[in-house]
Amino acid sequence: MPIPILFDCDPGHDDGIALVMAHRSPAIELLGVTTTCGNAGIDRTTANALRILDFIGAGDVPVAQGCHRPLARPLVLGVADGPSGLEGSPYLPAATRGPVTQHAVDFLAERLMAAPDLLTVVATGPLSNLGLLGLKHPEALARIGQLVWMGGVYWRQSDIIAPTEFNAFCDPEALQIVLDARVPITMVGLDVTMQVLIEAPHYEELATIDTALGRLVHDWLRYYETRHRTAMGVGGAMHDPLALAAVIDPTLIRTRPAHVAVELSGTHTHGATVAEFWGGRGEPDNAHVACGVDAARFFALMFDLLRD
Amino acid sequence: MERIILDVAAAGDDILGILFAAAWPDIRLEGVTTAMGAAGAVGQVTAVAVRTLALAGRDDVPVHAGAWRPIVGTAVADGAALARLDQHLTPRFGRRFADLAAPAAMRPATPGHAVDFIIATVMGARGEITLVTTGPVTNVALALLQEPRLAGALKRLVVRGGAFATPGNVTPLAEYNIRADPEAARIALAADVPKILVPLDACEDNRAAASMLTRNDIADLVAACAGDRVVEALARVFPAYIDVGQTVLGLEGLPMGDVIAVALAARPYLATLGPPVFCDVVLDGGLARGQICAHLGRHILPGGGPQTTRIAMDIDGRALRALFTSVQAHDARPA
Repeated sequence: MPIPILFDCDPGHDDGIALVMAHRSPAIELLGVTTTCGNAGIDRTTANALRILDFIGAGDVPVAQGCHRPLARPLVLGVADGPSGLEGSPYLPAATRGPVTQHAVDFLAERLMAAPDLLTVVATGPLSNLGLLGLKHPEALARIGQLVWMGGVYWRQSDIIAPTEFNAFCDPEALQIVLDARVPITMVGLDVTMQVLIEAPHYEELATIDTALGRLVHDWLRYYETRHRTAMGVGGAMHDPLALAAVIDPTLIRTRPAHVAVELSGTHTHGATVAEFWGGRGEPDNAHVACGVDAARFFALMFDLLRD
Repeated sequence: MERIILDVAAAGDDILGILFAAAWPDIRLEGVTTAMGAAGAVGQVTAVAVRTLALAGRDDVPVHAGAWRPIVGTAVADGAALARLDQHLTPRFGRRFADLAAPAAMRPATPGHAVDFIIATVMGARGEITLVTTGPVTNVALALLQEPRLAGALKRLVVRGGAFATPGNVTPLAEYNIRADPEAARIALAADVPKILVPLDACEDNRAAASMLTRNDIADLVAACAGDRVVEALARVFPAYIDVGQTVLGLEGLPMGDVIAVALAARPYLATLGPPVFCDVVLDGGLARGQICAHLGRHILPGGGPQTTRIAMDIDGRALRALFTSVQAHDARPA
């Protein structure tokens, strides 16, 4: 039985690849997509989600547009995906349809309440939509059986990882609401996503996928990887695909239970996700934190799903 | 005829605000929305709103339940402090905090979230709806977050909150409605919509003593409207609150800030309004969290936002009180 999921995202090249994987994986049933601001403004991320789904023949998957700004902070847009949020594929046609009329927060509430069982939600952007869900429809937030979120950073000393991760930094108050509600959350953060980097050999592999989709992903990654390499000196991190992959195969990552606190007031550290693994705060664990990843098996899964 | 949505969060003078809005022929009360507040959980607030409207004979007014928590934090600590105050009051005043008489059959809250009701009503009548908040501003903020076009469609926003020269009532700097959800207040005050702000200065300060409800007012109402069930309820419930205002808070009567907020929606000239300014809210922790900062004067540092908030500096208290009592007397309801 495939796992039914709701997918909250801000596409975004890596969100786009994760969307493609979700649609193509026989292990996943993509019930719906909700969009948020993050990698680009809400109009762009919604248009991008619709374009991508159209392109892969997933025009029947409903898309609901969500938050145009974080809950309590000024809007900050990412730069890793270029101004449109999906540079590198100018030939990708505009979508032939629009989003549903419902706001993402009401769409999520309706789907979560209507589902016979608790649902899995995959989130690959700032958590504004889920935070708003917790404020407006707490009974629906409680219907999330598992939240797999690309976000946060906790664990490794590193010279390529800052103390804050973008999705957490954008809307830490929303993350706090989700944690307050004790949603079972797996945080797939920079600690592991910065270990799944697109490098030269991956392009050779991608070149063997001679399809329209293969070429699209190739063009996305060329743009995305160049941005990464210019900014940080490393290849393009497959942040969001790893979070999606962890739903398909949880053994791809190793997690540890922890109590995660979110910094809401730091001058340079707001959005820092401070994990306490040893019970030192006297609070029960509220998250599973990804701290190890099998990169080779992840890439094998990703390329398998892109290949016809 | 002003079309108004009244957003409430507490007992006490919120009840007076609802009773006034329900009976005032100058306004059309489109609905009442509720949020968590000093009186407790949103379900409790909703029940109070339903009962108050039933008392006023206005079961036709929809009551939509809204926000159950603030955007940040839980307001539990401040709420607990209020509960402790209540414990102090009981030995001093006895068990005189009577309940409003509830009609036997209580209708449930109207289906649909308060935020959706606000969005649908305002977007369906662009430029016509005035939104009056007498509690934390959470519902307004959530509505603005969900529907960014809302600000452009509202006629006006009247917010009962904040304190300037008058000390705050939660901390010396912060007033309850704003302190209970500062992030929400900041979103609402930054919205580009004409606003009137009613701070403590214009209601919970003896400078505004003429606007406060006294035992004499209640006695006059009882004499004028014998048998009216709303007046009887006022006479049963509110003397205790008046006594608390006088002996604990040193006020000359019961402040009617929420009545003032409703009144200004249709008669803004009852207050002396300052010039339109931008108002920001302190979000940092500590004593100042929830303090409203009006961008008056000239500043070295840049900053600011839409200059759309007029602060009620002073209130024509005699006119306000006369309006309140005449509306209650005019709309006589049998017991």
